[in-house]
Amino acid sequence: MTRKIIIDRVTRVEGHGKVTIHLDDEGNVAQARFHVTQVRGFEKFCEGRLFWEMPVITARICGICPVSHHLASAKAGDAILGVEPPPTAKMLRRLIHMAQILQSHALHFFYLASPDLLFGMDADPAKRNIMGIIAEMPEIAKKGIKIRAFGQKIIEMLGDKRVHPNAAIPGGMNKTFSPNKRDEILSQVDDVIADCRFAVDLIKDYCAQHGEEVTSFASFSTSYLGLVDNNGNVEYYDGKLRLKDSKGNVLENDVAPENYLSIIEERAEDWSYLKSPYYKKLGYPHGMYRVGPLGRLNVADGCSTPLANKEFRDFKKLGSNGIVQGSLYYHYARMIEMLNAAEEIKSLLQDELICSKEIWVSSSIINEEGIGVIEAPRGTLFHHYWVDKSGKIRKVNLIVATGNNNLAMNRAVYEVAKEFIKNGKVTEGILNRIEVAIRCYDPCLSCSTHALGHMPLEVTIYGPDGNILQVLRR
Amino acid sequence: MGDDGVGFHVVKELAKEIKDENIDVKDTSADGLNLLELIIGYDKLIVIDAIVTEGEKVGRIYRLKPEDVCEPLRSVISSHHFNLTTTLEIGKRLFPEDIPKEITVFAVGIQEVSKVTEEMTVKVKEAIPRVMDLILEEISSG
Repeated sequence: MTRKIIIDRVTRVEGHGKVTIHLDDEGNVAQARFHVTQVRGFEKFCEGRLFWEMPVITARICGICPVSHHLASAKAGDAILGVEPPPTAKMLRRLIHMAQILQSHALHFFYLASPDLLFGMDADPAKRNIMGIIAEMPEIAKKGIKIRAFGQKIIEMLGDKRVHPNAAIPGGMNKTFSPNKRDEILSQVDDVIADCRFAVDLIKDYCAQHGEEVTSFASFSTSYLGLVDNNGNVEYYDGKLRLKDSKGNVLENDVAPENYLSIIEERAEDWSYLKSPYYKKLGYPHGMYRVGPLGRLNVADGCSTPLANKEFRDFKKLGSNGIVQGSLYYHYARMIEMLNAAEEIKSLLQDELICSKEIWVSSSIINEEGIGVIEAPRGTLFHHYWVDKSGKIRKVNLIVATGNNNLAMNRAVYEVAKEFIKNGKVTEGILNRIEVAIRCYDPCLSCSTHALGHMPLEVTIYGPDGNILQVLRR
Repeated sequence: MGDDGVGFHVVKELAKEIKDENIDVKDTSADGLNLLELIIGYDKLIVIDAIVTEGEKVGRIYRLKPEDVCEPLRSVISSHHFNLTTTLEIGKRLFPEDIPKEITVFAVGIQEVSKVTEEMTVKVKEAIPRVMDLILEEISSG
């Protein structure tokens, strides 16, 4: 017997995608795939532009994390110029970056993910959304708005605009930060830190109450990748790449970000527009690794700020050798990072140097290649440019966070499908759970294929002979 | 860009005309929560934007209420899906005291949205002084 199931509308993710599930002769899951069905071509149409323009052009890749592209691009530009930006410029870049981690994590947790957690995965989708949270738990929704607005305000102060900032340029920043603005933000930051602690407690309690499900749901072994600082702490702006396996063994350490191609390769598959990066030495697909909040916390030894570090220690106890594998733990890790970002903002603002006027350094050098790497909210982001002698872009390679997680998202869908489809019987609740699994990764499909727009995700189930068996639609 | 940028041109001109310090004239491409954050704390809101229409209706000015502009509240499935009604509804429910009590939308009918150009078509360009007059009248009437 042949059966196909399509889950249409995997909702509350950013961008386009669909899921297909193939069953074997016994009606069990043989294969499950998460297809990204949009293509955009940013890498191609940047060719011929000056590298100076790239921070502003590539910020348009995404409306949620434009700051990450903006900064990774400016860092690639620094490398082309062969310069290190002055300390104040780096602090301001860190500040705007932390502001974005804060707003992006808050948006995802409160507005996209919390309905699944607070109402339960089996709750009616009509209620399991942000309007449901607003109706029943308005105080939680308000905190989400408040944290996000605080991050957006900093982005606007430094970048003139709330969405696509104009702040960083190759060599530094294009404007200084006034003591007045600094004081305004500083006066609000303790409130925001308190709200972030509330969010950490919320997800911590959830994980404690749903221990078994959180530990087993879409849980599987992978390697993990992220940037760490000189002390091994989670690092978002600078640092070196570290890769650990699922048992906590360090596979790569202290890898300079510009040497990323020595550890990572990309594979293009005919079933998705999103490429699949993997760890070179383990090969494809065994070299699957995860990035983002869970990846960063799994590879690091600590967080740079006291409150986040305390939470980090508790979090690490959940895994063996400090490696936490369940996909739902992404939410927990994300909230620890949000707290870390708020504390980082406070500490940056308390340093007088942030208002210094030395924010840019010039150079007459134009190197032919520049690489900028940063930890975007969703994970490690690589911008790699090749330019001609006049600084015109010859070639661009972008590996975005969601791309890094492509293999893992496929695996998460497979794990859930395997659990909910047995002997050809599709259990109710599979649709909701596939959505929840994908949403853990907070995928930004617009970013990853550099594509525009939105479309609900669709899930199709195929029988062993390739015929469509079932289409699940909302 | 092109006719779709009519709101931007009107706002640019209005900023020159309006001297009242109780009135802020803002140009924004924000939607969703970004838009909500922008309008919180005001008593009255006037929105000026383009609206897609056809034929003779191009260049026509529509005075609307938010609920006339887009479909009512719907499930928010991604942050790309916050339409104006949803945005305002979130605002009303969470910050009932801080959301503008009176919201008016002035929309100029346009036909072409996908053409990349900085030039507006004649009918749309001609609507600019008319819509400015209507907005200024709206403001002076309180």
